Amino acid sequence: MKKLKKLALLVLIMSMCLTLIVACDSSDKEQGNVAGKTIKIGWIGSLTGDQSVFGICERDTIQMLIDDVNKDGGIAGKQLEFIPYDTRGTPEEAVNAVNRLVNNDKVLVILGPNSSGLAIPIASVLEKGKVADIATVATNEKVTVDNGVLKPYNFRVCFIDPYQGGVAATFAYKEQGFKTAAILSDISDEYSQGMAEYFKKTFEDLGGEIVAEEAFKTGDVDFRPQLTKIKEKAPDCIFLPYFYKEVSLTAQQADEIGIKTIFIGGDGWTSDQLMEMGGAYLQGSFIVNHVDFDDPDVQGLTNHFLETYPGQPVQLNTFMGHDAFVTAKAAIEKVAAAESKISSEAIAKALNDIEVKGITGTIHISPEDHNPIGKEAAIITIVGEEYKFVMKYAADMSN
Amino acid sequence: MEYYLQVLTLAGINLMVVLGLGLLTGFTGLFSFGHAGFMCIGAYTSAILTVTLKVPFVVALIASGLVAGAISLLLGRLTLKLKGDYFLIATLGFGESVRLIFDNIEPLGGARGFSGIEKNSNFISVWLVCIIGIFFLIRLMNSRYGRNFKAIREEELASATIGIDVFKTKLLSLFISAIYAGIGGSLYAHYMTFIKPTNFQLIKSTEFTIMAIIGGLGSITGSVIGALLLTVLPELLRFVADWRMVIYGAAVVILIIVRPKGIAGGKEFKDFFFIVWIRRLFNKIFTKEDPGNGGKL
Amino acid sequence: MDQFLQQLINGVSIGSIYALMAVGYSLVYSIMNFSNFAHGGVIMLSAYMGYFAIVLLKVSFGGALLLATLGATLIAVLIERIAYRPLRKRSAPTLYFIISAMGMSILLENLVIATIGPQFKTYPIIFAESTIQLGNLSISKMDIFMLIIAAVALVGLVFFLNKTRTGIAVRAATYNARASQLMGVNVDRIVSIVFALGGALAGIAGVFFGIRYTVYAQAGIITNKAFVAAVFGGLGSLPGAIVGSILLGIIETFVAAWRSQLRDLTTFAILIAVLVFKPTGLMGKNTEDKA
Repeated sequence: MKKLKKLALLVLIMSMCLTLIVACDSSDKEQGNVAGKTIKIGWIGSLTGDQSVFGICERDTIQMLIDDVNKDGGIAGKQLEFIPYDTRGTPEEAVNAVNRLVNNDKVLVILGPNSSGLAIPIASVLEKGKVADIATVATNEKVTVDNGVLKPYNFRVCFIDPYQGGVAATFAYKEQGFKTAAILSDISDEYSQGMAEYFKKTFEDLGGEIVAEEAFKTGDVDFRPQLTKIKEKAPDCIFLPYFYKEVSLTAQQADEIGIKTIFIGGDGWTSDQLMEMGGAYLQGSFIVNHVDFDDPDVQGLTNHFLETYPGQPVQLNTFMGHDAFVTAKAAIEKVAAAESKISSEAIAKALNDIEVKGITGTIHISPEDHNPIGKEAAIITIVGEEYKFVMKYAADMSN
Repeated sequence: MEYYLQVLTLAGINLMVVLGLGLLTGFTGLFSFGHAGFMCIGAYTSAILTVTLKVPFVVALIASGLVAGAISLLLGRLTLKLKGDYFLIATLGFGESVRLIFDNIEPLGGARGFSGIEKNSNFISVWLVCIIGIFFLIRLMNSRYGRNFKAIREEELASATIGIDVFKTKLLSLFISAIYAGIGGSLYAHYMTFIKPTNFQLIKSTEFTIMAIIGGLGSITGSVIGALLLTVLPELLRFVADWRMVIYGAAVVILIIVRPKGIAGGKEFKDFFFIVWIRRLFNKIFTKEDPGNGGKL
Repeated sequence: MDQFLQQLINGVSIGSIYALMAVGYSLVYSIMNFSNFAHGGVIMLSAYMGYFAIVLLKVSFGGALLLATLGATLIAVLIERIAYRPLRKRSAPTLYFIISAMGMSILLENLVIATIGPQFKTYPIIFAESTIQLGNLSISKMDIFMLIIAAVALVGLVFFLNKTRTGIAVRAATYNARASQLMGVNVDRIVSIVFALGGALAGIAGVFFGIRYTVYAQAGIITNKAFVAAVFGGLGSLPGAIVGSILLGIIETFVAAWRSQLRDLTTFAILIAVLVFKPTGLMGKNTEDKA
């Protein structure tokens, strides 16, 4: 009985503490966060872990652009304050980081992440705090629209998996005349699965035939069993919708067992390491990318980045980060011009159909799905040791 | 404030799993690398029940635990008769296999995940579940079963000779630890609102084990300390991000050699010097002194 | 038929790498009676050492292999000294060894990530014309080379264990450490030697793994396959470890060819099947029950 009494007392004390804690949290979240002396812009991404190369690049790009704007006097007379946090590539960290940005640092808008796995779970925190997030390279449809429901505080500046897979398939079938294709995908990676699914659907809708569908698991390093099977079916092309490390290994092993077919891939390929490791085995393959590295506008940004951060390589995230930033900037400017207070809620509203010129094309956010409308993809190929631009391509996704 | 509450909520979710793991490893002496698998099962069960079948959260919570427990019985049946090492690798294989199976189940989203889960896990709900969990565990460890667990941990052969059904006891320990992990999974799903099989990778199992070890094996308080400390610490130590796991790895090696019982040292909350002092004070104030004979025989 | 043969070649190639790892693993298991999780870390470090030997020190491939093997041997012995010996001296329960090993493997993996970085490294191309074509079949030159070196190493090991005094002492110690101590065997030294042997094999395996599959910090996870292979062949039996590995490689390959997503599930299924039906594995000795 004594033990029970003690326990009861303990529970009583704890529940008192609990009520005290909960009562303290009473901030008025009507308008989200409001700009004080500075305009705070948050960012989340992987600064450690496998994806850190992309995350670091993205953060540095945005830092560079913010410094530029601040040098020019900021926005509406206020300086911009940049607050980046590391998500370590895990969704729990992403949620923690966004929590911190929204509730502690009181930012007005958040840029990034570059992964759908992180962009989706943060939605509830964004909604509670009424702060908008612009994802840079998160391509899963569910980031902005889930089961038909539009997420009011999620936006993005990249095209989505259904689109990318569709572009690859249409380009392969219509432009290159490939009638049969094989797909090798990563069963435990959402990006890979999304791309594979839509490639298959579009390719078959156009009249092509998928002769082989093989899979592996993230972390696998030997693809020869699957490749041997694919070789048997002799497809016109092989679709490899995953990331550059596994792609390099795949290409190398494919060459080893005598496969001479053309490969096709998506934005997970583009990296210097791909060229270094697998370039020799990927000659003539096609990549669906967000941007043409040889475009003169793109050159300008590339040079600016290389000057600011000598020795650091430019990645896709440089361009997507840039576009996320200019989109946010446009929204902030719009709000600053129209209202007396710059609030995160107002920025979110402004983002609903903002239109701005980005480096990957015109970014026109659709109020229906918060995705950029009608973005063209850039098809690039590998010749020698370089990426060469082939053409801009927009798939007809009217269905 | 909101931010701190969320971090503590996450700590609570981790705590549920660590409590289960603590029972299995600390009290029964079995090591598992696959508890993320049970968490995964619990998470998906809860997600399916609440989203597709519109079952109320509380029911789903309990169901998740039970489903995970049921699967653990199957696993245990196959692997518990064997030595610790085999069991360990079997749990590792189990954890990875569960994840792989879910990757392949298209209707549940496969690798692309399951979204649209309601955010039912907040500070209060999570810690309420934790308190109930701790309470139950305390009662369990003070019962005959608890003593059996400890007996097996200390000396398995001797326990068998005095009539303890080693296999059944180990199975019970695994069963309960899986239930806790499953419930933890459900809480996780309703906190993240979106789950993917990659959330439950080997590294997650490893993190829970580290929490149990650093906090202190063989002590419920240790599990609490471990879960709280290692969930909150990364937030405070953002700047050492890259080295965090290095420090953990080193800490585990050093601890197991120098102080295997971890921070809690195998003792419980009530054994801590500070608490003992409060209790004595409490007793002095609230109980009548027995005049007795002054302790003389 | 062609495809069958090609897949067979693939399987053997994968299996031979597993074999090098499994033998080292099994060796340590037979003397210490626990699974050395840090073994994977040694393999991974060896891959890095070989890489840096070639890239920074500009040595030849043979030189890099030698250096990496030596380095791995040293690291393995060091790990034993730091992480396991203190526990052994206190007759700590097996659980503690496992925990220490786990901590060590996490430490090594993340140390590499924190210092060298998370990006993977690729060995420069060793053989110019990398494959030999036999009709429709392709065999990689690197595979043949690996098989030869692995065979040489394993033959060397068997010779050492059977024909040298130290080797016999090792075998005695794996059978019964107490008794061999009574016979004048310095068990501490023997343990170090065993780890050294395991480390050397891991060193070779690491370099080959790095060449074939790039050098990255998470490579240590491959040890799980090695464990399953060792269990499959029979823990404590070296020929068993080799046979188990090759078989595992072949089975995995054919399953991957049939339903590629099920590959890792098969590994797990094999483990469970072995544990349930024949825990001593294919060629294992009947190890006494350690309670």
